[in-house]
Amino acid sequence: MKKGWFAFLTVVYLYFFMRVGTVPICSFGQDGCQVPTLADLFDRVIQQSSRMDDISNDLHSEFEQYFFPSKNIIRKRRCHTFGITTPDDKENAQRLGAEQLTEVILRLLAAWCDPLSQLHGSMSQDQNQDFHHHGYNKALEVTDVVQELRDGMKLEGMLGNTVGYISPESLVPSAFSFYARGELNSIDHHDLLHCFRRDSSKVRNYLCILKCTTLPEIDC
Amino acid sequence: MMKKVILLWLLVFLMLHAEGTSYSLPGKPTMITCRSPEKETFTCWWEPGSDGGLPTTYALYYRKENSEAVLECPDYHTAGENSCFFNKNNTSIWVNYNISVVATNALGRTFSDPVDIDVVYIVMPNPPENVAVAVLGDEGRPFLRVSWEPPHKADTRSGWITLIYELRIKLEEEDEWEIHPAGQQKVFNIFSLRSGGRYLVQVRCKPDHGFWSEWSSTSYAKIPGYFHQERSVWILIIVFSAFIFLIFIWLIHMNSHNLKHFILPPVPGPKIKGFDEQLLKNGKSEDIFSSLVVSDFPPTTMSNYEDLLVEYLDVYIPEEHELMLEKNKDSRDNCLKSERSTSDCDSGHGSCDSHTLLMDKCGGTKEDRWQTHQPDSQMEIDAKRQDEALTYAHEDVISPDMSSGRVKTWPSVFSPLPQYSLKPLDQPSSLEMAKQHCLSDTLFPPCSLSSCQTQPSHSTKDGLGSNYWKFNFSNKQLHQLHPNTEPQQQLQAHSDINICSASANPQQHNQRSSEYVEVQRVNEQDMVLLHPVSSGHGKRCPEMNLAENYSKVKVMGNDNVLLQLQREMTEKEVAMCTYQQDQQTSEPETITTTPQKPAACIHSALPVLDERAASGYVDTTTMFTLPTY
Repeated sequence: MKKGWFAFLTVVYLYFFMRVGTVPICSFGQDGCQVPTLADLFDRVIQQSSRMDDISNDLHSEFEQYFFPSKNIIRKRRCHTFGITTPDDKENAQRLGAEQLTEVILRLLAAWCDPLSQLHGSMSQDQNQDFHHHGYNKALEVTDVVQELRDGMKLEGMLGNTVGYISPESLVPSAFSFYARGELNSIDHHDLLHCFRRDSSKVRNYLCILKCTTLPEIDC
Repeated sequence: MMKKVILLWLLVFLMLHAEGTSYSLPGKPTMITCRSPEKETFTCWWEPGSDGGLPTTYALYYRKENSEAVLECPDYHTAGENSCFFNKNNTSIWVNYNISVVATNALGRTFSDPVDIDVVYIVMPNPPENVAVAVLGDEGRPFLRVSWEPPHKADTRSGWITLIYELRIKLEEEDEWEIHPAGQQKVFNIFSLRSGGRYLVQVRCKPDHGFWSEWSSTSYAKIPGYFHQERSVWILIIVFSAFIFLIFIWLIHMNSHNLKHFILPPVPGPKIKGFDEQLLKNGKSEDIFSSLVVSDFPPTTMSNYEDLLVEYLDVYIPEEHELMLEKNKDSRDNCLKSERSTSDCDSGHGSCDSHTLLMDKCGGTKEDRWQTHQPDSQMEIDAKRQDEALTYAHEDVISPDMSSGRVKTWPSVFSPLPQYSLKPLDQPSSLEMAKQHCLSDTLFPPCSLSSCQTQPSHSTKDGLGSNYWKFNFSNKQLHQLHPNTEPQQQLQAHSDINICSASANPQQHNQRSSEYVEVQRVNEQDMVLLHPVSSGHGKRCPEMNLAENYSKVKVMGNDNVLLQLQREMTEKEVAMCTYQQDQQTSEPETITTTPQKPAACIHSALPVLDERAASGYVDTTTMFTLPTY
């Protein structure tokens, strides 16, 4: 179990941070290298998920600041990830177990790669609006972050079925069709951002639970 | 009927007077706020509106996201008045709650505005607990260590909530708090404390998304009195620097006199070189006077010839001297260093074919002749010297030898120059000759010109003993020929120069007592092409065809530049000629000037010549007299 975790996180770490140019790690214990501990890997991953979470929060709040969606309208809002059952409180999350929790995380990340790039693309088209101009960079950044996470997970799946699950993306409906309202090319940014903000918060929380559950020696 | 109307009116009257109140619908409840202390339960509070005078009840209804069921608040009492408490079973995280409050009284209901909340974003934890402050560190550097624990309700151990902390500290008597963010750690050290002070410390926390908690209860800490070690260091530094400063002041005082002289140097009084006051006071007269005699004064070494401006002397040699010149020609030939084509122009007689008219030191023999003639010769000396031309011992100049032409030599400054008038007005521009110097021994040691030894101190007219022409000229040919010649040896004057005055017809020279040579032009090889000029008005500018008469001036070595042929001058002369005569213009070619005076051939006005005169040896007076004729 721990070996599986180790391998998974090593892979995630490798692909996640290679682009960032952090300290090179050697997974085989070569001379001069310092193999990171599981705690380090967890910390790094959680750090990245925090970053994703913060960006999504910023995007959403900026959107609301610019567009003032009327809160009086009770909208039936559904996220395209509604099909992914996620624990919605602490007991459920702890009851789920580490492996399943990991699976949920991976599925969520996988579900958001494409919609984010679509969001980024649609933002670039509407450059005249302040919000799009402002949040363009943020959208780009968060797209990268999610992509990195996802690439790491894919590699991990190829290496060995340590976790044992690769989320089929067919289960998740296409974000484009899901969020589009009326016109073919416009995505409802508000809904998308709202859902993304929530899902990123879930991912972050689940990762923290994972860390504190699998590494009891750490003082959480 | 009447009774019923009256009863009705009474009822209304009673109602109106019943305690003076009016009943109405209840006011709208407002200010619905919900908070969750640990992200597992949450509570909502509302602000009731007016009750409308009737007993009013409030009810909270909520609807979960993606669910149609409208549920009512499960617990109105746990959280107090006008509140609703959602326990763990009823709380779902990451789910949107749509909450509204309804006020009901006898007359009706009033709904509040609905509120959407998501529990994740409304977390406001309790303050941190067990805040402990300890004074640690050694005697000289105490510091505070603050430690605390997360609120017991917030489950940070399982990772469900992640909290970040912040603490603030201030002195008891101060008003401003000093805030320190502490991240996720539960221990914090504070330094730079005032000794003997009493500090107040408080801590608070916040989840990832949520609100800051309240400040924890105050903790106190008293710092024991201690001596600042830093202060002692500062005292030491100050004492040391004061000490150094005093020493510095003392040094300045001791050397105040020298310093004064250094900063404000005294104006030097008149001083005679070699004159020793002490000697005057103490010594004998002979000593004094001998000390006054400076060995190198007047200067015999031509240290810096360029500074010397020697005037041109116009010299013309009376015919009787021509013979002598011819005699000496042979001897001179031996001494000639530069290659010369067959020419007998050395002496300036006849047409000059030689490209280089060099007169080396052997020309000294000439000097003798000149010497004799000097008094008789008429020379026009340019008294115009613009610089000190003091270094030449020989002042005189000249040599009348310029047989055929006007020779300009530079008289030495020291001696009063004999004024040789040479019909200046009549003469067209003559050549400038390099001045001739009387070089002392030192200049020409190997020279056999012993005659050329006029000591600077002696001379005045005797200086002619060694009169050399020196044409200062960067003659490349010559340089190539004599790369190693010492400066002194480079005295190669073209005796022919002026000499060649004239026409190709040598006989003319014999006939005429004085012929004038005019510089026709100077070609690329730094040669001055001379042609004879007929005296008189007639031919001011003889045909330029007589280009064959040329003279060449050579530069004299390093600093022994005594002569410098101003070709520009000649050019100008020529220019003048051409201008005046309106003849065919043989444009003087661009002359490569001496290295000292690079210049292009300019047909400029005369004033330009002044410049040249200032820097070199220029016969400016002649130049200026030109227009007059």
